[in-house]
Amino acid sequence: MRIAIHQRTWPTNPILEQFQGIWQRREVLFHLVRYEMKAENKDKVLGFLWSFLNPLLLLGTYVVLVSIIFQRGGPQFPILLFIALLSWRWFATSLSRAVNSVTSKVRLVQTVRFPLAILPLTGIAVGFFDWLFGFLVLLPMLVVFEATFSVHLLWLPVLLLIQLVGTIGACLLCAVLGTYLMDLTNIIQFLIRLGMYMSPILYSVGDRIPEDYQTLYMYVNPFAGLLESYKNVVVLGSPPSEYVAVAAVMAVIVFFAGAWYFARDEYKLVKAA
Amino acid sequence: MEIISAVDVGIRFKMLKRKRVKAQDLVRDQINRFRNPDGDFWALRNVSFSVKQGETLGIIGRNGSGKSTLLRVIARVYPPDEGEVAVKGEVSTLFGLGIGFQPDLSGLDNIYLSSILMGLSKKQIDGIVDEIVDFAELGDFINMPVKTYSSGMNSRLGFAIAVNVDRDIVLIDEILGAGDAQFKKKADKRMAKLIGERTVVLVSHNLPTIKKFAHKVLWLDKGRVMAFGDPKEVIQKYAGDEGQA
Repeated sequence: MRIAIHQRTWPTNPILEQFQGIWQRREVLFHLVRYEMKAENKDKVLGFLWSFLNPLLLLGTYVVLVSIIFQRGGPQFPILLFIALLSWRWFATSLSRAVNSVTSKVRLVQTVRFPLAILPLTGIAVGFFDWLFGFLVLLPMLVVFEATFSVHLLWLPVLLLIQLVGTIGACLLCAVLGTYLMDLTNIIQFLIRLGMYMSPILYSVGDRIPEDYQTLYMYVNPFAGLLESYKNVVVLGSPPSEYVAVAAVMAVIVFFAGAWYFARDEYKLVKAA
Repeated sequence: MEIISAVDVGIRFKMLKRKRVKAQDLVRDQINRFRNPDGDFWALRNVSFSVKQGETLGIIGRNGSGKSTLLRVIARVYPPDEGEVAVKGEVSTLFGLGIGFQPDLSGLDNIYLSSILMGLSKKQIDGIVDEIVDFAELGDFINMPVKTYSSGMNSRLGFAIAVNVDRDIVLIDEILGAGDAQFKKKADKRMAKLIGERTVVLVSHNLPTIKKFAHKVLWLDKGRVMAFGDPKEVIQKYAGDEGQA
């Protein structure tokens, strides 16, 4: 009896092949994103309006907390907080969606063959639309709170790209691990919360981090440089923080780690889901 | 031309004996894995068969014999852990009662989503969507979320999608048993038209259905092939075995 280990038709895809496969089936991604967004606001009285209300209410909560209760933050605090919060929220929601992106679609996964990486990517895309809606709300506020517009605003797409690359990597990692280990849902929720308070969202680095530790802080937390840069280019009209390079390097490393891990384990996920 | 061929296919699942997994079990499992590498569960093993273009393969067997697992192998969902499978062509899938539908989406959205997952383009779906809606006889329910559907409606929609998307291979799992008598008749008629036009793999407990449509029959038991070949012979053997049990 011949026993051949089957490897040819279902290879452990190299990273490139993985993304080629996703590109070929991009229509699946488009439709999943559409339906996900449709399902989210369906049956609600305010429907689509929630896309704008959600970020506003979230922002309001933190403004009350910091400006009124703790009496901190300057006159531009709401918009500084808003841009950082929006960007962090994009990462955080993508990650928490990615953790059970495969297990929640177990029926699809076990019925038809398609590149599974599309599932965590769907959450990232939905999260990006949330970011966009939030940014639309932010735009008039930038005028009201007298933000400084400058040519450095052109850095914004670059910052978003860095974040996207890193988020894809982190989400691919979480999608695989979350399928094997259901406990990760809880762990990630905790880490996201911790990460938020460890990053310069409710405060700025110059304000709250002791001077001796600032450099260390910027090197350890890639979101520090990234979020400070968002604030710089959108609100303060200054160039991005030089520590955004830390975020860029981290993003690329995490991207390749996630893509490699996902490609290696993709075919195992179907049975584990 | 052989459109599906399988040689010594095996599908292995890791067994989880304990219902509740505790942290210390994780460590113990790792140790046991090295001690007992064959403690796995083979849902399929040494399964060989082939289907020519335009033929209909019937798969029979008791519950848990690996029929649906085999369909998933043909649909390229499970890569074989052992042996080799070659499937030439695009597959249209339908597993049981509307599996794969997203409960929160409307019937119409689900038609688009499942067809796109099967590899159709939006344009192609626009061309067949009316036919599917018509065939499924869902009326205004087509715009309601699938979670509001009865099981009959669910399977009607599933069947309508599977037979109307233009794929080389059609997989059908137990669908003809669902729906009322009138729809059954219609489904039977549609099946008869489909047979010969496409390559069909049909899983059913209904032996007359298998006898009527299949050119070849595969009998599975506990993941092993008991018999494969002429429908009459295989069904006779199967029925005899069932009679004893």
